[in-house]
Amino acid sequence: MFDHEQDIVERVIDSLRRPVGIEPAFDARVMREIAALRAPRRRLVLFAGLAAVAAVLAVVVLARPRAPATRELQFVLVAPQAATVSLVGDFNDWDAVRTPMRPLRPDGPVWSAVVPLAPGRYHYAFLVNGSRWLADPAAPTASDDGFGTPSSVVTVSGRGRGRGT
Amino acid sequence: MRIAALLAALTLATRVAAQEPRLERLDSAARAPVAALLDSARIAGLPAEPLIQRALEGTTKGAPAERVVAAVRRLATDLGRARAALGLAADPLELEAGAAALRAGASPEVLAHLRRARHQPLMVPLAVLADLVASGVPVDSAAAAVLVLAGSARDADLVEFRRAVERDIALGASPAGAATGAAREAAGATDLNSTARTGSARPRRP
Repeated sequence: MFDHEQDIVERVIDSLRRPVGIEPAFDARVMREIAALRAPRRRLVLFAGLAAVAAVLAVVVLARPRAPATRELQFVLVAPQAATVSLVGDFNDWDAVRTPMRPLRPDGPVWSAVVPLAPGRYHYAFLVNGSRWLADPAAPTASDDGFGTPSSVVTVSGRGRGRGT
Repeated sequence: MRIAALLAALTLATRVAAQEPRLERLDSAARAPVAALLDSARIAGLPAEPLIQRALEGTTKGAPAERVVAAVRRLATDLGRARAALGLAADPLELEAGAAALRAGASPEVLAHLRRARHQPLMVPLAVLADLVASGVPVDSAAAAVLVLAGSARDADLVEFRRAVERDIALGASPAGAATGAAREAAGATDLNSTARTGSARPRRP
């Protein structure tokens, strides 16, 4: 080995032995870079987790028995002399006070009530002045059950919107 | 002995009222027989709600207890016949409409034929059949018309058909003639509807 080569080697060794000056924020910067590299994977895991939770919730909601969709039906009766009119039928347990009808105009002859109904076939009648039973002239007549007063029938289909049959 | 029977009836009535509180509104003479009919229906897998409603209807209208019981018994029988005709898979709405159709005079064979002809719920066709008979259409004409339409008509088509029959009757047509004419019209309309749905290029009626 030549002298000047020996000199170079010693200078290199000196340089390596010298303590390296690292700026104080270096560690924090490195950790930030590492975190930035991991973020997409973490987001992916989070997204997959949320998707799994959503799928479980969807199964629970769809598998749960749902209440049938109801439709609002308007019942109308022309009763000029009536003081009170009630709509009574299968949809209100034939309770004469549960569904009072109201005049469309004050003191007018047309009485009306709107009732939400699930799909099905319902018997009903109007009770005028608390004592007189009337069938709906605009609806099919129900079979006679020997009760001595007429009833009507309305069928609400399960699809579509609008009036019953 | 008489006291024992009275106590047994009282116990049964109390137990029934606890199971179905709405029966408390019934006349005491009707309560136990109606409750027994409800129990039988439930055991047979038939819907109890229509039976309860018939009993409540009779009670609210002031019918005597024996008429209330007779009406409930008749409906329970019709629900059972409807299920025998429509099959075990029939849902409660179909059974109730089927019972109405049977009560109107349709035969169980008509119900079974409808089940085979239509691969959709039968509540509306059965209800239309019963309603047509109530409008005065002879049961054979009503059944024939509904059977013709049942294979392809939608529920809405059947409802419109029934309204058309009622309209024609109100205008003076004979019920049988109105049903036949409206069925022919509806069958044509249904044909056009299905043509539109399938996108076929068949010519439309003028």
